[in-house]
Amino acid sequence: MRPGGDRPDQVTFYFRREWRPLVLVTVTGVLFNVGLVTGPLFEGRLAQCLLEVLRGETVWPVMAKLAALYAVVTAVVQALRYGKRFFIRRFANNVNRRMKAVLYAGLLRRQRPELQEESVGSLLTRAISDVDACAEGMRKFTTEIFDTGVAMVAYVGLLASYDWRLTILACLFPPAAFFLASRMKKPVARCAAAWKESAGRLNEATLDRVSGAVTYRVFGLEEKRNEAYEERLADYEHRAVAAHLWEGIMQPLYRALSMAGALMIVWLGSRNVMGTGWVSWDIAAFTTFLACFTKLSVKVSKAAKLFNAVQKAQVSWVRVKPLLKSGSLPEETAPAAPAALEVEGLTFAYPQGETVLRDVNFTAAPGQIVGVTGPVACGKSTLGKAFLCEYPYQGSIRFGGKELRDMTAAERTGVVGYLGHQPELLGDSVRENVLLGSSGSPDPWLRAVCLEEEVAAMPDGADTQVGSGGIRLSGGQQARLALARTLCHRRPVLILDDPFSAVDKATEAQIMDHLETLAGDGIILLLSHRLDLFDRCDQVIWMEEGRCRVGTHRELLKTCDAYAQAFRAQKGGSHEAE
Amino acid sequence: MKRNETLLGILGRVLWHQRLLTAGLLLAVAGSVVLALVPPLVLERVVDRLTNGEMVSFALALLYFLTLALSGIVDAGKETLITVLGQKLTRGLRHAMCAKLSRMPAAWFSRQDPGAIASRFVGDVDTVEALFASGVVSMAADICKIVGILAVIWVKSRGLGILMLLVTPLLFIMTRVFQKRMLRAQLEHRAAVAKASQQVPETIRSIRTVHTLRKERYMARRYDDAIQAGYWAMERTNFYQALYSPIIVTVSAVMVALVMTLSAMGGGLREFFGMSVGTAVAIIAYISKVFEPLESIGMEIQSIQSAVAGVRRIQAFLAEPEQPPADERVTLEALLSSGQPAVELKDVSFSYDGQHPVVSGCDLTVEPGETVTVTGRTGAGKTTLFRLVLGLYPPGDGSVRIFGTKAADLPPAVRRRLFGYVEQSFRLVPGTVADQITLWDAAISREQMENAARMVGLHDTILALDRGYDTPCAEGLFSQGQLQLLAIARAVAADPAILLLDEITASLDTATEARVLEALRRAAAHRTVLSISHRLYRETGGRQFSLT
Repeated sequence: MRPGGDRPDQVTFYFRREWRPLVLVTVTGVLFNVGLVTGPLFEGRLAQCLLEVLRGETVWPVMAKLAALYAVVTAVVQALRYGKRFFIRRFANNVNRRMKAVLYAGLLRRQRPELQEESVGSLLTRAISDVDACAEGMRKFTTEIFDTGVAMVAYVGLLASYDWRLTILACLFPPAAFFLASRMKKPVARCAAAWKESAGRLNEATLDRVSGAVTYRVFGLEEKRNEAYEERLADYEHRAVAAHLWEGIMQPLYRALSMAGALMIVWLGSRNVMGTGWVSWDIAAFTTFLACFTKLSVKVSKAAKLFNAVQKAQVSWVRVKPLLKSGSLPEETAPAAPAALEVEGLTFAYPQGETVLRDVNFTAAPGQIVGVTGPVACGKSTLGKAFLCEYPYQGSIRFGGKELRDMTAAERTGVVGYLGHQPELLGDSVRENVLLGSSGSPDPWLRAVCLEEEVAAMPDGADTQVGSGGIRLSGGQQARLALARTLCHRRPVLILDDPFSAVDKATEAQIMDHLETLAGDGIILLLSHRLDLFDRCDQVIWMEEGRCRVGTHRELLKTCDAYAQAFRAQKGGSHEAE
Repeated sequence: MKRNETLLGILGRVLWHQRLLTAGLLLAVAGSVVLALVPPLVLERVVDRLTNGEMVSFALALLYFLTLALSGIVDAGKETLITVLGQKLTRGLRHAMCAKLSRMPAAWFSRQDPGAIASRFVGDVDTVEALFASGVVSMAADICKIVGILAVIWVKSRGLGILMLLVTPLLFIMTRVFQKRMLRAQLEHRAAVAKASQQVPETIRSIRTVHTLRKERYMARRYDDAIQAGYWAMERTNFYQALYSPIIVTVSAVMVALVMTLSAMGGGLREFFGMSVGTAVAIIAYISKVFEPLESIGMEIQSIQSAVAGVRRIQAFLAEPEQPPADERVTLEALLSSGQPAVELKDVSFSYDGQHPVVSGCDLTVEPGETVTVTGRTGAGKTTLFRLVLGLYPPGDGSVRIFGTKAADLPPAVRRRLFGYVEQSFRLVPGTVADQITLWDAAISREQMENAARMVGLHDTILALDRGYDTPCAEGLFSQGQLQLLAIARAVAADPAILLLDEITASLDTATEARVLEALRRAAAHRTVLSISHRLYRETGGRQFSLT
């Protein structure tokens, strides 16, 4: 679905987009709310009819007809109500979905460093609970227009048709309650916000108390932390009570206030019936008037509640609004044609960090596999990440003669494929994790990483769910599945950061065979601390403290002592480079 | 050992403590039930007087309004008391659970996910509150309300009473069927929503893959599909929800129509249903009220059912075995002047699961002022040894004594001045930079604190911050290396007798590593030191103790 268009950070955007359900809501809403007055009308007629039957002025079939009509009309009006509720909820659902799509698209457009700054938790809460609250608020706002606005007009109209003077007198009270309720909007919102904040602080304190439990115990601080927690609890209790009180208590009180009009109706209305009032009434008129007024005052008290809901939604809307930005998502790119890679004088430092790479130089021809290794923290992972252009680099990385930093994102992603330490798997099936929506079969890629048989043995084969982040797979399986995904979306330059760390040697050699055939004219940069296969690389780069020495495996064995030592140490049987 | 507290015990204690509030709540519930019955009865009198051609006095009109107003006020009072008492209960429960944390054995924490424990405190306690507020209390009130209305109808019109007794259970069954279907749809909806919301952190985690493979559109489509799945489940809920109230109102109308017709038919029927016009008006008011609580009761049953899982989890938490309390009589002076070895392990064995010993037959004596470095490969039990010394784990066999006292018996007040523990990774505590070093200990003077910071070479760095030592401390204020230095300052601030240096997991650059090493050397001077062999401490010297 298109999240773009005009201004998704404006509420009206969503109303305009959802005009179809809104039209249906309007039609059913108006008809239903006008139809509501039939209830009191019939109830009055029924009472009057019973009186006449009891007095012998009419016979029971008249009553039967009237009663049947009452039941039928009520059923029709209620059917309209069903329609109204159904469409208003569809509207809210659509808004909810659209808002989340906009929010999510915004997330997808963010760069990795940005995302690492913003705490994951707060983003999540915003995305889910705030959007839900907003959609709910918009639903209630729309409901209010019909259920309160239209219904009140209909009720007041009916009342006025019986006795306009009494209507004015009685109806002084509901607006007073309404006014009071709207004046209370601000404290209601303030209390709700304060409560939410306090809940946030309590959650933080809880998590801190639990996750720091051992530290606190070691330093003998548990009692102190329990006391600090108690303060949070007290704060939360007071704010929760305040928020609930505003919400729950005021409504019955509004209702009582607005029912003060009933006093007028019973007293003055009975004079109408006795013939000493402003107009002449029968019992039907009296009953209808009173029933109608009762329903009106209920509406008014509910309106106040709806106001509160809208108010709460506004709190969420303010928070979610800055995140709602329109914009389209990039198209997928096709891989670029193979070409040569030249790295010249590459120097790299993280912002406000130390220089990690210093003057790195090497070239790779199409089809070459380049092994990169060195001691822990030598900068080999950073060398791989420099190709992603997440941070600016100095010097030059050219592919096919073109500078990487000058390429558009579309061009660059067509050139560089990257697989980091983290497998970054999705909580989906094996198939989806390899293909990521592309067509075709995942089997060739699973075979290339020696995962085919293991997947076949899983309960649902390639459709087996791997769990959030691939949690149901072993570490080695996760790494190989991620490698299969990377191979499936092949690029002319593939950067593989330690792809074999959790794979045994025999499998590693087998995967290397497949890599050599699959790579074709592509260049593979193999960053690893395991050197068993480095004799099969076309070139080897030895890195130490950000500087590098380049050569073939044989050359480096002769010229670089550190490399020769590391290689022999591993051939000697140890699995660890350190 | 005293028995663990139970959930009911805690709730009962809070209610007893708040017995005035509790009694008030009971009164308010009873009052709201009775008062809801009264206004239609007054109305009946009004209409009957009118049909008999009698005047309605102002006093009667006022009575009608007052009963309405009073009913509203009592309802509001009831709501208030439910809220206040409900919050008192949650606070009491959370308090008891927090106290329980202090009594949990340390090993328990390493087995649990902190997020999961925190959700016991947050979500599950909230369900208990909901169980009380919108479950038990309101259900009792609603049942009373229905019984009350049915009783009044029974007295006023026997025939209608019988009709109502037939229809009410049917409607209640319908309510439950609707609610069960809605619940099923809601569960599906929630599962779909969970799937959708799980995609947000997942996307953040995998953003590099998404960007480099240009899969933004695919991810957006996938997210939309997940929301859409939730949307269809939601539509089913909407269907039932939109259908329910219309059915109830229509049934009420049919009941009213039926009663009015039967009352009008005369003969024996009139006798049976017979009522005055006033009664008819009152009955109409009652019928519309009797079905309201039905829906509420259904919802209440549901919230009770869904609270059960949360209640069980809290009960399980409270029932976890506790560790024996420390010996509060032990004082620091007594320990330091005991003349016993600073640390003494005698034939200590320990196993996490009771089958595979991590440490076995370990003997180690460290005299005051001595430096001992523990060596051994990964998994040899170095960290476990530390935890045994700290008294976090009770030894399976043998004894662990600190200055002659069992490590587990050391009271919290003594620990801070006994052990300076440099943890594997620094744990930020909530508060200012000063709090990171003093750990809120008022007995550590400003000067002592600054000396600790000076010793690790952080004093100037801290003074350069916005508000110096009073800067609120947050993630990102210090670098990895600086945090490591801060950990050392924290460990020595209280001038502890024994310094325990754990392995440092963070990878530091050479310059920082040198600074940390220097700080450690200074911290170790004139102290009993037990350290785990690590690239940083290789040079600290002293005796080596090898774990195999």
